[in-house]
Amino acid sequence: MNYLRLIGVFFRVNIAGELAYRINFLFSFFESVMGLGFTLAGMAIIFSYTDSLNGWRPEEILALVGVYSLIGGVIRVAILPGMQQLTESVRDGTFDFTLTKPEDAQLIATFSRVAVWKIIDIFLGLVILIIALARMGSVIGGVQAVEFLGMLLTGSVIVYSFFLILATLAFWLVRVENILTIFLSVYHAGRWPLSLYPGWLRYGLIFVIPVAFATTIPVEALTSRLNWVTLLAAFIAAAVLFIVSRAFWKFGLRHYSGASA
Amino acid sequence: MFRPAAVEDSIVHIQSLSKIYFVNQQEAGAKATVHGIFRRKKTPVQAVDEISFNMAPGEIVGFLGPNGAGKTTTLKMLSGLLYPTSGTVTVLGHIPWKREKTFLRQITLVMGQRNQLVWDIPAIHSFELNRVIYRIPPDDYQSILKELTDLLELGPLLTKPVRNLSLGERMKCEIAAALLHRPQVVFLDEPTIGLDVTMQRRIRSFIAEYNKRFGATVLMTSHYMADVEALCKRVVVIHHGRLLFDGELALLLQRFTSHKTIIIQLSECQADLKVYGEVLACEDGRYTLRVPKAETARITERLLADLPVVDLLVEDPPIEEVIDRAFTEWNK
Repeated sequence: MNYLRLIGVFFRVNIAGELAYRINFLFSFFESVMGLGFTLAGMAIIFSYTDSLNGWRPEEILALVGVYSLIGGVIRVAILPGMQQLTESVRDGTFDFTLTKPEDAQLIATFSRVAVWKIIDIFLGLVILIIALARMGSVIGGVQAVEFLGMLLTGSVIVYSFFLILATLAFWLVRVENILTIFLSVYHAGRWPLSLYPGWLRYGLIFVIPVAFATTIPVEALTSRLNWVTLLAAFIAAAVLFIVSRAFWKFGLRHYSGASA
Repeated sequence: MFRPAAVEDSIVHIQSLSKIYFVNQQEAGAKATVHGIFRRKKTPVQAVDEISFNMAPGEIVGFLGPNGAGKTTTLKMLSGLLYPTSGTVTVLGHIPWKREKTFLRQITLVMGQRNQLVWDIPAIHSFELNRVIYRIPPDDYQSILKELTDLLELGPLLTKPVRNLSLGERMKCEIAAALLHRPQVVFLDEPTIGLDVTMQRRIRSFIAEYNKRFGATVLMTSHYMADVEALCKRVVVIHHGRLLFDGELALLLQRFTSHKTIIIQLSECQADLKVYGEVLACEDGRYTLRVPKAETARITERLLADLPVVDLLVEDPPIEEVIDRAFTEWNK
């Protein structure tokens, strides 16, 4: 309960911080709209030549773009800023203050910085998703909806855990901002269905940098492509990765406490 | 006479505490730099070397030593940020580096050179954050906030963005943020660094008042002698990680101040003053002489009689010098 209250206060504090730079909201808005615009334009060009891309219809790809924008928003609002702040605070020593607090350090590190304006990505993602669903015309059943939400959740957990592992490397390497940015670049690959990519890349996007869980797989749930094996695998992957990332974080903390000056 | 606190009633108990760091060495030159990417030389550095002392409830102890003496490392071990290499510590009966929540709720660490307040927003928001993190009941929070606001004169500062505050104002807010949960043990690492004299005095009297009002135990480091003189009856001195002295400040000064500094203003730097004492410096006719304490009066008298002195000042050597001297003595 206190966790939720704490997360709430972190959001309030960050909103107050962002309100100090209101104009930044405009830039943020244009950045989001332009990014999405280019993605949609690319899609439109491709579908002007063909009706189906490896079995994916335009509105299904549109749904994928919606999910891509939605999860991208979650990353930019609630995951990336906290992780960047973490690596910064390890470097300048203010992480010490996090450690003297009687609250879980991972919780504080994750939510102390949220980029509120980027909520626009989540909003745009939802709008596109709704348009895509309307165009599909098919009725989304209760089971499908639950599967979809479940896959969105597992996808987010997997991406978060992966980011946490990367950011935890800061306890040894100190400067890891670039690793975080690389992940974001790979995330761009999630704009297209996984099945379009050659085999090695497909495996890479599942097992090495697990972007597919956050984009293609939720849409597969929505378009009745998901089989229960993938569903189960996603849940297990999320649980395992979350536990592993937390263990690695704790290991990193011990190293930090043993070595920091 | 100073009596060390007995182990059983001490709040802070430190026994043979040591910390060794392994530091990456980076050599100059292109070849060495490239080499350094692949293989780094790790050099052990003994930051804290077998120190032991206790602190009684409600005591304010000055923790002194030159830069790099191991003060911050020790404070970090006491507040649970670092694991020691060896030795034992208990603070309020807890082992700090286990970082138990019940322990962390009773202590605080203030670092004069680092900020915990969020930069872009008013300090009151950061206070609110600490209120939730430390689970301070609303009524307690209001009363302690009012108390701290009065004592530190925070009033209008709380609602201004932190980045618009002066260094001194920011430090006052930092200290208040760190004390909202009324910690029983307070670790202060250079709380007055970089502040002007007035602000230093304000912070100093606040620390004394907080200690008196809440009976808090305070361990503080400072390079300003005035802080230490005003607050700490007892000092612990370390150098190169080793404990040099633990006892009354007056005793330390008396024992290791064997010399005084005489500053005289002449018209120019022409005179040969070697016969009076050791000439430390001369700038625009302003001489700094080091003389044995016992002979201060006699030499002053001679200087005034022999030379056209415009101005004369007798000073105690700075604390750094006293500590340095203490260390040299210790090595003998």
